Order: sequence, then C-alpha cells, then structure tokens
Amino acid sequence: MQTTTARDLGLIRCETCGKLAFDVDHDGYEEHCPRCHGHMHMRATNSLARTWSLLITAAILYIPANILPIMTVTYFGSGTPDTIMSGIIQLLQHGSYPVAAVIFIASILVPLLKMVALLILLLSVQFKWVLDDRQRTRMYRAVELVGRWSMLDMFVIALLVALVNYGSIAHIVSGPGATAFGSVVVLTMLAATTFDARLIWDKQRTDD
Amino acid sequence: MLTSIPGNWIACKDCDLLLERVATPPGGKALCPRCENPLYQYREQGIERTLALAITGLLLFIPANLLPVMSLQLIGQETSTTIYEGSLVLFREGLYWTALLVFSASVVIPLCKLMLMLFVSGYLYLGRSSPLLPYAMRYYHHIDEWGMLEVYMLSVLVAVVKLKGMASVIPDIGLYCFIGLLLVTTLMSSLLDHDAVWQQIEHGQGRSPA
Repeated sequence: MQTTTARDLGLIRCETCGKLAFDVDHDGYEEHCPRCHGHMHMRATNSLARTWSLLITAAILYIPANILPIMTVTYFGSGTPDTIMSGIIQLLQHGSYPVAAVIFIASILVPLLKMVALLILLLSVQFKWVLDDRQRTRMYRAVELVGRWSMLDMFVIALLVALVNYGSIAHIVSGPGATAFGSVVVLTMLAATTFDARLIWDKQRTDD
Repeated sequence: MLTSIPGNWIACKDCDLLLERVATPPGGKALCPRCENPLYQYREQGIERTLALAITGLLLFIPANLLPVMSLQLIGQETSTTIYEGSLVLFREGLYWTALLVFSASVVIPLCKLMLMLFVSGYLYLGRSSPLLPYAMRYYHHIDEWGMLEVYMLSVLVAVVKLKGMASVIPDIGLYCFIGLLLVTTLMSSLLDHDAVWQQIEHGQGRSPA
C-alpha cells in the first residue's frame, strides 16, 4: 500500500477546512490557511502536553463529581442529597431499569472509559508502544463521538430544578457535584479535541 | 510562507495519508484506505438541502424554546418549563458555570449553528460570495460538537421517568416543536459535507471579480 503522508512531502493539512498547502520555507512557523484563514500547523501544537493536562484535571475532578451530591430532592419537608450513583440505585429500586441503565452508561461508564481510552492513546504515543494503529484510531473516533452524551445528567438536573418548584412541598436544588461533573465532561471533550490522531501514525516514520 | 495545492489532492484528517480525490457515486462515501476515516461524500443538491433545513430549523427554534416543554401537576398546582427558562433557573440559583454550560449547549450554540448555515448555504445557493463565508464556516466547524439537542431530548425522557412517582407530567406543545427542531438540526449536521462546502466557497470566490 502506498504510504506517503502529507508531511512526507512538506504539505500541511488545515485542521479546520482540510485544505492542503505547501510549506515553502519549511520553517514550521504558525501560518494561516489560504482558504479559511485559520491557523495551520503540521501537527497540533503541544498536543500531548495539552491533552495530558486536560485529562489529569478531568481525572481529579471526577472524584468530587462522584462523591459530592449532584442534587437534593426535598419532598414534604424531608430531603436527601443524591450523588450520581445513589440516584441510579434509587431508580433501580423503583424498577426503572432502562432509565437507570441509560444514566449509568452516560454518567459513569462513558466518562470512565473515555478517560481510560485517552490515557491509553497518550501513553502509547508518548512511549511508542507497538499497538494496532487502525484500532487506536477507531478508539479515538469513538471517544470523540460518545463524549457529548455524558452531558445527559446536567440537562436532567436543569430540567428537574426548573420544574419542581413548589416551595416547602417539593423542590429540587442542584449540588456542587453537578458543577464538578459538568467540568469533567467539558474537559474530556476538550482533551479529545486537542489530541492529534495523526501522532498515532507518525511513529512509523521515526522507527524507520 | 504557504502555497496552495490543487484541490484534487487531499490528506486524511486522522492519519495524514496523502490521497488523490476519486469520483464517488451519489450518496457514496469515500473512506481513508489506511484508517477508515470518512473523507468526503457526494450528495446531490447538498446546498439546497442545507438551506431548506436551516430555514425550517430557525422557524421551529422560536416555539421550541419559548413554548412550555412539559408541565407538572402536584396537589392541584401546575408548573411548566421552557428550555430557555430551564437554564435561567440555574443562573438564579447562582450555579453560573452549570447554567452557562446548559444554556449554550441547548440554546445558544444550536441557534448559532442554524444562523451560520443559513448564511453560508444562502450565499452559495444564490451564487454570491462574501469575504465572511470562510469565517462563518470556520466558526461552524469549531462549535459543531458543542450543540447537544439530541442529548437534551434524551434528558427530557429521563426527567419524565424520574418525576413519574412524584407528580403527573404532561408533555406540552413546545416538546413537539423541540422534537421537530432536533430532527432538522441532526439531519442538517449529518447531511452537510464540509469538504464540498469548502470547495464551493473557494471556487465561488475565485469566480468573483474582486
């Protein structure tokens, strides 16, 4: 199979519009795309360092996101703060298995698997592990695709807080865990964006 | 310094493989032979469809956001909420960060996406060029993944189930508009071939006298 990459010929692909341009003087300086005027780089600037820092911040915030209450439901005077997990357990006790499964996947499984996947990608690129490149690219695309679904719980909280507002009879207040969780979702989405998938394939060149 | 390369050469987004553009049948999709990343697809009347969907989406946007999505009945009292209100409540509670997140993902960004697409596809449809077209398309590209109407829709269903035991929940007219808006924006995003739009922007500008 022909394996000439754009970089082999000194060509830069614009990350925004896909335009190919030739870096005449090979100086690697920041250039602007002739078509969309966006910044052009051979590879995303400091991709690994940026992704690492976003991922580590997300991992740290993942702890308060799961320990702190995301909301408190007060019903006829008595209220108990709920964390993400205790909310899921409550749904299970009420027999709402499909909804419990949806929230478990969106709020626990997806963020966790996403962070593990990014960790594997970062470690494998940093330490030049020999893994299947096509599978790693597939994993990266999966991370990009599913990340947004973790926002589910944030929207649920916003809807419940807005709807259930009956003063002392029943009201719902959101908790600090929601802020931490929202930050985890945003940070992991940003981490997926800053990671340059082409780095997975670049290592072949340096091995030669 | 950079110089342009003729449009029949492209590189894969995910693995940088250099490829020559090949003709695809209508509805066909070109995949990268090395990493299977979708490169481009050929759609008939892509611009017309995008324009039609953007206009429909903008028409649905106002009722979907300002009419009540659902109402809740508890001991004779009824409250209802709109999507717009839902995020403002969080502002009032002092959760600015969370409120900003919810408000932008469910209202601001979907609206911006629709307006940018109306602008881009409208100009291309009329065969006119504007120096702002590349900027509009660039901003669209950057905010694309942050509009999350489909996630919001699922959260409405989850909220309904969660409230089931507490009070009776009645879906309202706004919800139907919202479902329409969701379908239109999802269709618009999935039918849009960025590569084709960029090529049209480039060639359209090449034709213009200025």
